[in-house]
Amino acid sequence: MSAVTARPVQRLVPRMRIWTGTRAIAEAVKIADVDVIAAYPIRPYTGVMNELARMISDGEFSAEIIVADSEHSQFEIAKHASAVGARTFVGSSGVGLLYAAEAITVTALAQLPVVALAGCRALDDPGNFGMEWNDTLVFRDFGWLVSWAKDAQEALDMTLVAYRVSEDRRVLLPHFVAVDGATITHIASPVSPPDERIEGFLPPYKPPYPLDPEYEPVTKAQHIAPSLIGTEQRKVVDVSMKRSRGVIEEAWRDFSRRVGRSYPPFLESAYMDDAELAIVTMGAYTKDAVYVGQKLRERGERVGVVRLRYWRPYPAQELRESLEDVKGIAVLDFSYSFGSPDMGGAFYNELRAALYEAYQKPLILDFLFAGGREPNVEHFEKAVEITKRAVERGRPERLVYWLTLRGEDI
Amino acid sequence: MSLQPIRTPKELGSIDYYTSGHRTCAGCGPAIGYRLATKAAGPKTVLLGPTGCMYVANGHQFLTSPYAVPWFHTQLGGGGAAGIGTAAAFRALISKGKRKREEINVLVYGGDGGFADIGYAGLSMALTYDYQRLLYILYDNESYANTGIQASSTTPWGATTTFTPTGKVKRIGNERMKKNVALTIAAHPGVRYVATSALYPPMDLVNKVRKALNSGGPAFIQILTPCPKGWFFDPKHTITLSRLAVETGAWALWEYEEGTFSLTYKPPKRQGLREYMRMQGRFTHLSDEDIERLDRVIEEQWKLWLESDRQRRIILPWTPPPTPL
Ligand SMILES: Cc1ncc(C[n+]2csc(CCOP(=O)(O)OP(=O)(O)O)c2C)c(N)n1
Ligand code: SF4
Repeated sequence: MSAVTARPVQRLVPRMRIWTGTRAIAEAVKIADVDVIAAYPIRPYTGVMNELARMISDGEFSAEIIVADSEHSQFEIAKHASAVGARTFVGSSGVGLLYAAEAITVTALAQLPVVALAGCRALDDPGNFGMEWNDTLVFRDFGWLVSWAKDAQEALDMTLVAYRVSEDRRVLLPHFVAVDGATITHIASPVSPPDERIEGFLPPYKPPYPLDPEYEPVTKAQHIAPSLIGTEQRKVVDVSMKRSRGVIEEAWRDFSRRVGRSYPPFLESAYMDDAELAIVTMGAYTKDAVYVGQKLRERGERVGVVRLRYWRPYPAQELRESLEDVKGIAVLDFSYSFGSPDMGGAFYNELRAALYEAYQKPLILDFLFAGGREPNVEHFEKAVEITKRAVERGRPERLVYWLTLRGEDI
Repeated sequence: MSLQPIRTPKELGSIDYYTSGHRTCAGCGPAIGYRLATKAAGPKTVLLGPTGCMYVANGHQFLTSPYAVPWFHTQLGGGGAAGIGTAAAFRALISKGKRKREEINVLVYGGDGGFADIGYAGLSMALTYDYQRLLYILYDNESYANTGIQASSTTPWGATTTFTPTGKVKRIGNERMKKNVALTIAAHPGVRYVATSALYPPMDLVNKVRKALNSGGPAFIQILTPCPKGWFFDPKHTITLSRLAVETGAWALWEYEEGTFSLTYKPPKRQGLREYMRMQGRFTHLSDEDIERLDRVIEEQWKLWLESDRQRRIILPWTPPPTPL
């Protein structure tokens, strides 16, 4: 070998790693220099805690990591550490999230910017490692911000942005970063970790009223007479949620500029310019949906794809603007809500509610993939086909389809 | 910094950290315990309160607060986790240079429902960690008082509560024996200090709190705190009942320090339970024989308590429950 070496091209080609989603999120937690982590095992989110425990054991960064006795304790630990002034990380999946429900509620109402990973998984019974969104969607009314990543790269980036948005004094609300179980948590894909340009993106966390004898004593979450401040207390959370929209936009603009990847804050669209039909979904299956969109475009069909990046705050206005001109929407929905309006999924009905205020209402059909059985691109193509036929006929035969069901879809 | 032992109430000084601004019942034992425990801990303390009377009755419709140090609510079953989360935050922030180095007491003051039932697993988890100056105090008023006096696992045998009423068929009321929570906590090897206490003798609680905070690890104290509403007695008798509970041996005072057991109070000549129980409305349905049979159970238990004291080791004071006639 000659002594002459090639100059590294690192600055131009970002260094890619092959990471699972949970590994990528652990990297974000490390970059955020989180202080307190509370863990409890449940698939598929567990990997993130395994990674963090390893990083801490190897001295890659320093944090208190508590192995809790339950998810309820896990979320209470994070909530209380956050009240003192520590940056915190927790997470769970499936029934674990429901077990923690009480602690999850109060975290938002106490306005503590805890960041949690929700690794979406079907709820019991029976035990099922499949992917469904219900475990996370049930927290839609609780005052948590909920964002939904489509791959490991975005999961890493979203976690960093989650801290920035949550800890912003205009927001101070906790944040779920949701990722689809297995497809994101467990599948390794190329990830480019942020470089030094990220420095300063995340200012230190300082709660306005830390629970620390160093400051004036605060009495936090004291029992109240409802007539006194009950309504105002709820309004504070409402206003924080409203304000978070602007803060989210700001944060993604700054983040995109620093890392050189461009992220639209609320919706990501493909082929939507002159689309007559749209596929609307969230998460990992977006890539398959885009593939279907591309395929159908090649056949001359005017099909586009819209993906929600946030579930809370819900991007109602953006969805209206994006979907008002389409004639039909195929919702790829991994949620259910037994007994709901038209027996559709929670994801579907929320979209219908948002589009009720649109000046022109498209036909909206729900393709509901419940129970964790994986759909494939053929199912998605079929969904578009059914939607197209309904549009041509001017009315839908039915509103909700269980395409992965074996047997009659009653 | 070590907290020094206190001999007389005067030495405690006049500053209170749990003060006016609450609306507990007159003669509320848990409130008296709160006042003493917080006085013992001093100003460098964070208080955490699981739901219960010491949450709801300490809140006030006029938005006043009885706490002169930082205080935060935790869910009924969240006491253990809340203490751990708070202590972990201080340790992380201090060790990472994000906060000035200082010893902070974390004191979680929870009821028997909160700590002995719904939050028992969380408490147990917390006591397997090694956080210093983390003290869990169970104020044992022997019922879910705040929801209207329901039996918990520390309600004594024979007590009538709204979930264990005495009736035509079920004569006894609560037929479960009181769970000895503090003994189960002593089975956690990470705990440096475990004690039981009462509002009598006067400085017992204060000094146990200070010992617990000095102990160098997580600690636990279970205080028997009479509750006029749940035990049905005149509020002026709260301290008298505390004294009788200790003197009759109904409630044994002990501490367990790094593996060494000792009784901190030995009733000189144990009196029968009769006076103690007859002052409480929750036992009025019990016959004299019922009380005598309970007396014999206590008598048996005391042989074992004294033997534990002699050996400096815990022997479980197990006795068969008094079967109703
Ligand atoms: C998860 C949950 N379940 C039930 C309640 C209702 N609740 C409020 S206070 C209380 C009593 C708690 O009893 P204890 O811990 O013994 O405290 P005490 O009321 O006796 O002071 C209960 C059951 C609650 N707040 N949270
Ligand atoms: S019910 Fe008992 S514990 Fe509750 S405030 Fe009244 S006396 Fe105190």
